[in-house]
Amino acid sequence: MFFLDTRFNSFIAVRSNLSVVVYPIQAAASLPTDIAEWFNDFFEERHQLQEKNAALEAANLLNSQRLQKFQNLERENMRLRELLGSSFRLRDRVKVAEILMVDLDPFSQQVLINKGEKNGIFIGQAVLDATGVMGQVVSTSAFSSHVVLLTNSNHAIPIQINRNGLRAIVKGRGLGELLEVDYLPHNADIRKGDLLVTSGLGGRFPIGYPVGTVESLNYPQGKAFVEVRVKSAAHTATSREVLLVLNTKMISADNSDPVNKSEASANE
Amino acid sequence: MNKESQGGIIIVVSILVSIILMLIPLPDSIRLLRPEWVVLALIYWTMATPRQVSVGYAWAVGLIMDLIMGGALGVFAFCYALIIYIVSVVHLRLRQYPIWQQTVSIFSLMLLMQLLLLLITPRTIDWSFGLPVISSTLIWPLNYVFLRSLRRTFHVS
Repeated sequence: MFFLDTRFNSFIAVRSNLSVVVYPIQAAASLPTDIAEWFNDFFEERHQLQEKNAALEAANLLNSQRLQKFQNLERENMRLRELLGSSFRLRDRVKVAEILMVDLDPFSQQVLINKGEKNGIFIGQAVLDATGVMGQVVSTSAFSSHVVLLTNSNHAIPIQINRNGLRAIVKGRGLGELLEVDYLPHNADIRKGDLLVTSGLGGRFPIGYPVGTVESLNYPQGKAFVEVRVKSAAHTATSREVLLVLNTKMISADNSDPVNKSEASANE
Repeated sequence: MNKESQGGIIIVVSILVSIILMLIPLPDSIRLLRPEWVVLALIYWTMATPRQVSVGYAWAVGLIMDLIMGGALGVFAFCYALIIYIVSVVHLRLRQYPIWQQTVSIFSLMLLMQLLLLLITPRTIDWSFGLPVISSTLIWPLNYVFLRSLRRTFHVS
């Protein structure tokens, strides 16, 4: 049965239907943490709140200043691209979901989120957190979905180095927070501290989101490739909210397919 | 009949609680030490009431675990069913053992299960796969005494 499940896709429907049944158990397991957190919020000290507020305001100020500049750059970028005659989508539409505080198999690097097919989540959707790419959706049910993290040893993501555009593949290692870059020859132009962003190749992850920074480089004698360790940009262990990207393909399908659209509105 | 159905409910509830224990988040430092609560509960009920809980039951519970954990369907189902098959064959002997001897048998069963999981699922092999074996073995006497008192209070047979 597990052979069938892993090799063929015939069980996707079965799994997604059965997952609805187990969702209450999962929700129940996450309840104690939720309650504890609620109490924490409720009894938070006044001065703590004030401190937090001040810190957030400062961060907000910084961000809005950066945003002003960014908007300017965005305009400029659009103008230049128009001159070049190529189209470019700068904004991706996102959906916010919350991670259920449920501990899954520690060896499988997955998390459970509280949005599912009913909210338009689909298999293969890219998942981000506030600081970078977190992973992708592997299975969905009506109200919840499993997200596999970048750190899973079976997960790979196409990236490019932000500094020079060199393309490569980042793989999870199955252990800890570190990732690795595969198949880079010794003479590849990669340095410690380089920011790696998604390249958008393969069409699964949207282009330009941070994946991680190069932490260490090792050039083993007699081997063809560099050993690169990458620290993931997303805080996979601590973030509570995640963003799900509606990829450009899906958006254009929404806009250009009037038949589907009318069907969808008829259903509503 | 009424008594039997009540017993069934107790078993279902205890297994639900053990599933929730498997899911409750733990700090990273002791996360790998989480005992296999579900298997321990299944083993106890197979030993005590082999007519109610046996291979089919374990398989169904394992399937639920597969759905919850999000792995390939059937991995846990297969492992649980195999372990429970072994237990159901030797349950009469297991019942006679003193607790420490039972604990040794539990150790070997848990080791078998972790090795199976290691073989079936694509995971990185390192020594940490042995941690749940140790923690489950150590927790067994406690689990045994608790479930036995539960069984006696509610007259499950």
